[in-house]
Amino acid sequence: MTARPTYSPLFDFLAPSIVTSRRLHTSPPSPPPIDASPPTSTPKNASPPPPLTPSQSAFLDSALRVNQAGELAAVLIYSAQNPLLIKSHPHLRPLMKHMYDQEAGHFAFFNTLLAKHRIRPTALYPVWTLAATALGWGTAFMGREAAMACTEAVETEIGGHYNEQVRVLLDWVEKLEERGEGVGEELGGLVEALRRIRDEELEHLDHAVENDAKEARPYELLTEVIRGGCRGAIWVSERV
Amino acid sequence: MPPTHISNAAFKTLRASSRCSTAAAQRCLYHSYERPASPPFPPAESAILSSALSHVPSYGFTSDALKLGARDAGYLDASTNLLPRGVFDLVSYHLVTQRLALRDSVQFPSHSEQGAGKILGVGAKAIAIMAQPTYVPASFAELARLADEIWFLAGDTSVDTSWYTKRASLSAIYSAAEVFMTQDTSKDFVETEQFFDARLEDAIKVGGFLGSLGEWVSYTGHSAVNVLRSKGVRI
Repeated sequence: MTARPTYSPLFDFLAPSIVTSRRLHTSPPSPPPIDASPPTSTPKNASPPPPLTPSQSAFLDSALRVNQAGELAAVLIYSAQNPLLIKSHPHLRPLMKHMYDQEAGHFAFFNTLLAKHRIRPTALYPVWTLAATALGWGTAFMGREAAMACTEAVETEIGGHYNEQVRVLLDWVEKLEERGEGVGEELGGLVEALRRIRDEELEHLDHAVENDAKEARPYELLTEVIRGGCRGAIWVSERV
Repeated sequence: MPPTHISNAAFKTLRASSRCSTAAAQRCLYHSYERPASPPFPPAESAILSSALSHVPSYGFTSDALKLGARDAGYLDASTNLLPRGVFDLVSYHLVTQRLALRDSVQFPSHSEQGAGKILGVGAKAIAIMAQPTYVPASFAELARLADEIWFLAGDTSVDTSWYTKRASLSAIYSAAEVFMTQDTSKDFVETEQFFDARLEDAIKVGGFLGSLGEWVSYTGHSAVNVLRSKGVRI
């Protein structure tokens, strides 16, 4: 409490909106940023930008909740697969570590975002924990190809899901720009991050296919079941 | 009316009240810092309710206070029809404004006592209003938002299952303390404070025990799996 974060040397009068939004972005939620003083961030324009519409904030609410649940599942799938997979195929260690680290980064990103924007996590958190661990362990038990087919199926669904979110957000950005309002760091940063995360997920998809995901037996059944499960989990997590 | 109709109607009311209405419930969604939400009450309602609140210490949470408030704010008595839920809207206004004022009172603690002290004498009546079946869902929602606000202001950033357990336990303790307070005759509600502290202690103890239990279970499970793996079992 005694040491307040100091941002004083920044020439914030040169680019007020960038600086204030950066501060909100990097500061941890404790001590909570006080949002009761909007006029400081917009000296050029006395009134703060109009609030998000209820449907917009509902969309962001459920989208970010689903993303966190998805990344939780991804982290757990990889961490359940890793020991079994690496034991029988030591050459996969760097690849698995790379994918796991990226997923852990995504998970941490969405965790901070949920805390910052005060979104409740999914109520089925323990259920997804168990399901994802079981899925990861089960597919790794079936062998390397099955584990890779699992990655392929999951990342296909997740990539498409992120794509849809990016499309919606870009649509908002376009409308904001048409009206001549600033997009802001919150929305702009989110679009950037979602694009980066989507690309990384699709990169995992490529890795999985390179590592004989298509050789899994029974490939069709396995991937269809996992993809169906993913879609169901997304549908449920958007709601509870 | 056949029972199915009644249950349908009850379900609809429940859904309508549990849905995020634009009035008081904006806090349960994505919280934007760049595009802050508009104030929870429209200007006219806000004017009537805030001046009605100044009559609450003498008239209680009653329709008289509402009418006097409307008069003070320069509206007709009939304009209290703006508030479909009547007296409950007054209670709700008090709760919402006090909740939103929390963030300031955390920063400037010297002002925090004033608002509460004036209203307390009529607290039991307010609880009675909130406990009316029609308003129970809205009251619970407001309690949940209060618990959420407190955890947020306390700097809590957990976003897993403990998000729910923390808010549930705080809500339970808070409402228990609130009921206790209506019967408390001690000076400055010292006994309520003691009661509240004791319940918090209990919650911390139970939470700590459950936390270590979970840790132990997961540690033992992982060790067992690892021992089996080291014996060459393919799991």
